Amino acid sequence: MPAMWRKLFGGAWRRRALEGLDEEIRAHLEQEVDVNVARGMSVEEARRRARIAFGNIALVHEDSRAAWKWSWQEHLRQDIRYALRTLRKSPGFTAVAMLTLALGIGANTAIFTLIDALMLRALPVPSAGQLLQVSMTPGDARESQLSESLSYPVVRALADQRDVFAGVGGFSTFTFDAGPPDNVRRVDGAFVTGGFFEAMGVVPVAGRLLAREDDEVGTPLVAVITDGYWERAFARDPAIIGQPYRVNGRAVSIVGVTPPGFTGAHVGWTADITFAVSAVAQVRPELVTLLGPGNIWLRVLARPRAGVSVDQAAEALRLRWPELSQAAIAPTFTAERRAGIASARFTLRPGSTGWTNLRDLFRQPLYVLMTLVGLVMLIACANVAGLLLARGIARRKEIAIRLALGAGRGRVVQQLFTESVMLSLGSAALGLYVAQFLSRSLVDFLATGPLRLAFDLAMTWHVLGFMVALSLATAVLFGLAPAWQATARTPVDALKATSGIPPRGWLLPCVVTAQVALCLVLLVGAGLFIQTLRSLQSLDTGFQHQGVLLVDVAGQRPQRFYEDALEVVRSIPGVLSASVATNTPLSGAGWSEKVTIDGVTQEREPSFLAVSPQYFQTLQTPILRGRDFTAGDDGSAVRVAIVNETFGRRYFARRDPIGSHFMASVAKPSVDLEIVGIVSDVIGNSLRAAPPATVYVPYFQVQVMSQNFSSLQVRVNGPAAPITDAIRRELQPRMRGTPVEVRSLTAQVDSASVRERLVTSLATGLGAVALVLAAIGLYGLLAYSVASRTREIGIRVALGANPLGVIALVLRQGARLALAGIAIGIVAAAAFSRLVDGMLFGLSPLDPATFVGVSLLLATIACLASCIPARRAMRVDPIISIRAE
Amino acid sequence: MSTSHARRSTRDEQDRIALLQGTLDLLILRTLRLGPAHGHAIVKAIESGSDDVLLVEQGSLYPALHRLIERGWITFDEGTSENNRRAKFYRLTAKGRKQLDIETSRWEKLSSAIARILRPAPQG
Repeated sequence: MPAMWRKLFGGAWRRRALEGLDEEIRAHLEQEVDVNVARGMSVEEARRRARIAFGNIALVHEDSRAAWKWSWQEHLRQDIRYALRTLRKSPGFTAVAMLTLALGIGANTAIFTLIDALMLRALPVPSAGQLLQVSMTPGDARESQLSESLSYPVVRALADQRDVFAGVGGFSTFTFDAGPPDNVRRVDGAFVTGGFFEAMGVVPVAGRLLAREDDEVGTPLVAVITDGYWERAFARDPAIIGQPYRVNGRAVSIVGVTPPGFTGAHVGWTADITFAVSAVAQVRPELVTLLGPGNIWLRVLARPRAGVSVDQAAEALRLRWPELSQAAIAPTFTAERRAGIASARFTLRPGSTGWTNLRDLFRQPLYVLMTLVGLVMLIACANVAGLLLARGIARRKEIAIRLALGAGRGRVVQQLFTESVMLSLGSAALGLYVAQFLSRSLVDFLATGPLRLAFDLAMTWHVLGFMVALSLATAVLFGLAPAWQATARTPVDALKATSGIPPRGWLLPCVVTAQVALCLVLLVGAGLFIQTLRSLQSLDTGFQHQGVLLVDVAGQRPQRFYEDALEVVRSIPGVLSASVATNTPLSGAGWSEKVTIDGVTQEREPSFLAVSPQYFQTLQTPILRGRDFTAGDDGSAVRVAIVNETFGRRYFARRDPIGSHFMASVAKPSVDLEIVGIVSDVIGNSLRAAPPATVYVPYFQVQVMSQNFSSLQVRVNGPAAPITDAIRRELQPRMRGTPVEVRSLTAQVDSASVRERLVTSLATGLGAVALVLAAIGLYGLLAYSVASRTREIGIRVALGANPLGVIALVLRQGARLALAGIAIGIVAAAAFSRLVDGMLFGLSPLDPATFVGVSLLLATIACLASCIPARRAMRVDPIISIRAE
Repeated sequence: MSTSHARRSTRDEQDRIALLQGTLDLLILRTLRLGPAHGHAIVKAIESGSDDVLLVEQGSLYPALHRLIERGWITFDEGTSENNRRAKFYRLTAKGRKQLDIETSRWEKLSSAIARILRPAPQG
């Protein structure tokens, strides 16, 4: 039999060789007897001598078996079979242990899936490992001011270095209004430079991708779409390639489809429609300045030419940049800025995972969550370890017998450990479902935030590997110590021990104490986050978001349109008031200007908003003094402004702001503004920052680019749905070619705290799980302890101990463990909470109320968990318990 | 008859030599070179081949056989023994044949080395 074959089917071969060994030995002995008899011995003597000559038959069996070098696979197979049988025999234990672990493994895997999707996964392009992210540090800036965004001329200049780079691609995300005029949809997309697809190295599934020739002014308007969009919008019709399609009101020719899985280089954003940057001039003509050197807005990935190392590429850029930089400098730049760009340094970093702004936003929350689910995992492990310890004690006779029969301790530990691995792998399989469900819910939850995310949450090798590693690590954590302890006693001791003598293991109490401590850390975290969210939500934002709808009216429109739109919206039944403004609180957009007061140009720029009459009424921001804007505040009237309290306090501390004047370049050149009113402070783009000094100017008195992001604010009374429909119906004919997007201001406010809500709800959920697990752990230990001390308690009662004393006995044991856990937990929590200081708001990381509250909660739960075993102890009948032995 | 038995028994205890560790494998291989044999026959062949000097604890043959199968040096066929029992007939494989040569020359080297030490040649 060839060695290979034997290796594969060793088991079968082995059985065949060992099979009939019995009979073979019997035959051997008979032959020996025959020989002896032939030599003249009596049959009896012949048999005896044959036996002596042969030696120990059992040992021969054993040694023959051993000769086969039973491979670890075979040991494993035996152990697995044995483990499965044992686990099946105690379904209650198995179910509890598996559910506990599945929860832990599932939660960990879910968070890891997100971390993987956001930070670890390589772009689905060939040799993604070669990609480099190019960022730039202006010469006059510190290293920390490294910019990940570059201007279009810079990217083009880099792409021209064909001897260094095989491809250089700049990209930036945008949304487009696409589709036939009667069915316009807002579609996520991107502008990319001509070298983008070259750098990515992807191959189209249909047509062609954008090339350098497409990224020139004056070329025909073309776009590529993703495989997903091809499927959704065109049912994969190949005929659409080369056909005109309407995007932003322009006829665009779709020239190709990117391969499945590729959604652009901006992780978490599905760029369904992609244009060359030069198409900005036609698709978004108002943004044509993006083509110039003054705007830095493109993220850049580059692929070095084969044979060019990262260092060589960086060196080439360093040498050539002073010359190349001329293309990136506009004549209008100040001398300082020119010098900065000319002496800029480039940084090339690994870019295989693409780029996303989400990383900076979610890195810390995800790591915090990973820590929290890790704690839950530890608690779950501790719980299962506790179960196993108790089981190990209950199984000590079985184990003792196996040890007595000559099984090595290592072998028995291995067997017990196999049981743990089986448990955790089974739980991992269950955990897979938990993970899928959880990570899907997490992404859905995050999608309610200001950032749309589209993640492919399919299982990757990273995640699968993580899960397997995690479940093996958990098996080690919860399985090894109990196995070690279970085999620690000598067989004689264990066999002598009767069920009445309590096992004095130190491991089980330690595990329970650790559980309480971990639980406290988690609960403190949850408590701090809950308080943070509560302070954010109860924050006086200066406006009322409930009942306000926002209608997106971005784009360049004539003033007539806004006046008309406001009029029709105000006439819809249920609409209390309506206004138009360049911005709304917490939208993420902003506009600031320098102001000149009494001839002094102020260093700090206040925020500016252009708002129509009724804006303050709609947002219910109180006008403290003065008046609201009126229809009369149009281009023909005196230029006026309303300021907030902070503005008034900062610049007009000594006099009445109303009636005062200041200069601001709301429209160039600077104009004089008269303050006609003062309103309450309103939060800006961050809940955590103090309200900025703000200037409101009349919407119909200014012409600014910021109007491109304008929205209508509509305060409604009653259910929003019918009014939303009515708004759509009224406005759609006036906004041809654009979908009418209506959302609630509440959603916008909520989205500002999406990170906090995510962390808080998860931390709370995990804290609850941890609490339940720790309570079960404590209860289990005490119940077990009472059960094994029944005889002792019986004797105490027989000797006259009163029932309260018995209860105290058990409660004391519980209290000792819980208090030790709480004490350790407080120290650990204090260390941990410092790390999340940056995520907290309105309270200290050592908030005494949280620490005390959580400790009390845990103590209460521990008390409850001790009560049931204590009652059981009280009811011990001395006669029965003593007779039971 | 019984006296001869008694004499043999004395010899068992006094003159026979227990096998050196590892030599059993070599002897089995050597025996099987003469043709397939079952367990008992192998023991007998070794004992009679050594003029009954070597003492083989018969049982220890079987672990050794299994060890040799595991190494691929011998294999076996199912058959029937003289006393009509199901038995395994062990035989040498090609690999085993090569191994026998190696082991034999190794043994020869070893035994001549030991012999040289025990009985040094008279110095010239």
